[in-house]
Amino acid sequence: MLRFLISLILGAVLGLALGLYLGWVQFPVEYLSSPITALDPKYQDSYAVMVAQGFQSDSDAVGAVQRLRVLGVENVPEYVFLQAERYITNSGTPLEIQALIALSEGLGRTSPLFDQYRPVGTP
Amino acid sequence: MTMPESSARPPRSSRYYRPRRPISMTVLIIGLIAGIAGGLYIAWELAPVEEQNTAPWQLNEQGQADYIVAIMLAYAHDSDLSKAVNRLLELRIEGDPIEHVAVVACNLARTGYVAESGGDHAIRAMMNFYQLQGRSGCADQVMPLSPQPTPTFDLMIGATPTLPPPPAKTATPDGFTEGVTPTPTVRVAPTVAPQQEFAIVRQERFCDADFPAIIEVYVQETGGASLPGQRVRARWNGGESLFISGVKPGRGADYADFDMTPDISYTVDMPGLSDPSDVMISSGCFDATGAQTQSSYRVVFRPAF
Repeated sequence: MLRFLISLILGAVLGLALGLYLGWVQFPVEYLSSPITALDPKYQDSYAVMVAQGFQSDSDAVGAVQRLRVLGVENVPEYVFLQAERYITNSGTPLEIQALIALSEGLGRTSPLFDQYRPVGTP
Repeated sequence: MTMPESSARPPRSSRYYRPRRPISMTVLIIGLIAGIAGGLYIAWELAPVEEQNTAPWQLNEQGQADYIVAIMLAYAHDSDLSKAVNRLLELRIEGDPIEHVAVVACNLARTGYVAESGGDHAIRAMMNFYQLQGRSGCADQVMPLSPQPTPTFDLMIGATPTLPPPPAKTATPDGFTEGVTPTPTVRVAPTVAPQQEFAIVRQERFCDADFPAIIEVYVQETGGASLPGQRVRARWNGGESLFISGVKPGRGADYADFDMTPDISYTVDMPGLSDPSDVMISSGCFDATGAQTQSSYRVVFRPAF
C-alpha cells in the first residue's frame, strides 16, 4: 500500500511540475480580444510612428492626439517627445525619427536633439 | 493428489522471482497524468500568466480597427505597399486582409468616426488603399471621393522643365491665382509610384487536383522569354521563403513554385525588384473533372518598363 502511495505522490508531483511548465511556459494562455492599451511596447512604438506619419500628411494634431490617447496615454505630447528622443538615442530610422519630431513639435515640444534630423532646407 | 514439487514452483522467469520495484509504474503513470491535468488546470484556469507582449493579432475588434487606421495613415504618407501589407498580415486576419480594410472603412464611415478630427482623412486613406488593390466597399458609397483625393504626392515645380505660363495668358491653370505665389507643390492623382523593376502582369487563381495548393510563379522577359535564376519570395504571417526561377526540371526556365498551406494568406514578390502580389489564400475547390482539391495561384512577373 505504501508503495502505491509513494508512486502516486511521486507521479503527481512530477506531473504537476510538468503541467505547470507546459501551461505557463510552453503553451501559455494567449489572450484574444485585448484592448489596444495592452499592446506590447514595441507595437505601441510602431503605432505611434504610424500616427506620426499620418500627422505629416494631414497636419491634424488633434486627430493624432485622439489616436494616441487610445493607448491609454495621458500626456500625449510628453509621450511623443520621449519616444522621439528615445528613437534618436537608440538609432531609429531617420524617417521614423522625422515623423516623431514633426508630431512632437506639432504638439509644442521640441529639443536641440531634433535639429540634426530636420529635412535640409526647412527653416 | 499433490503436484510434484518441481512443477509447483513457478518458472524462473516469473515475476515472483524478480525483486519488487520500490515504485509501481502503473500508479506512477496514473499520478503523472493526474498531476499534468492538475498543473494545466492551475496554469490555464486558476493562475494563468499575466497578459503581456500583446501582439496586434490579439487585439479586440476596436483595437484592430485603430491599428488598421494607423497602418493606412502611414501608407498614405509613404505609399509603401509592401510595408502596409506586412503590417496587415501581423493582424492575422482571416481571409483577404485588403478586403478587411474595406470592411473596417465601411464600418467607420457609417459611424460618427467620420466626424471626428482626422476621421475623414483616415477613411479616405483606407479607401485609396483598397481601391488601388482592386477592392471596393460600402465606404465608396457613403463617402464619395472628394475632388482632391488622398493620398497625394508632392512634386516640386522647380524639378520640372515646364516654364511658368506667361502673364499675358488669360487661362490660369487650376490652383494658381493672380497675385498669389504658386505653391511649391502640385497635386497629382493617387497612384502607387512605380518603384520597382518588375511588375505582376498576371495573377490568377486556378483549381487543378494535380497541382493543389501551390503558387506557380513565372519570371519572364517583356516578350515572354524565360528569365531563369531570379529570386522570388513568398511571405506569410511570421515567415517568408525564397526560391529561384528555372530550377524545377521540366517546368521551364521561367518557372518556380511554392507550396501553400490552406487558409494562410500569402504574397509573393521579387525582393527589391517588385511590389508584392495581392494576397493569395488556398481554399477548397473542385477542378474541371469534378475532383475536390485546394485552389492554387499563378503569378507572372515581367519587367515593368
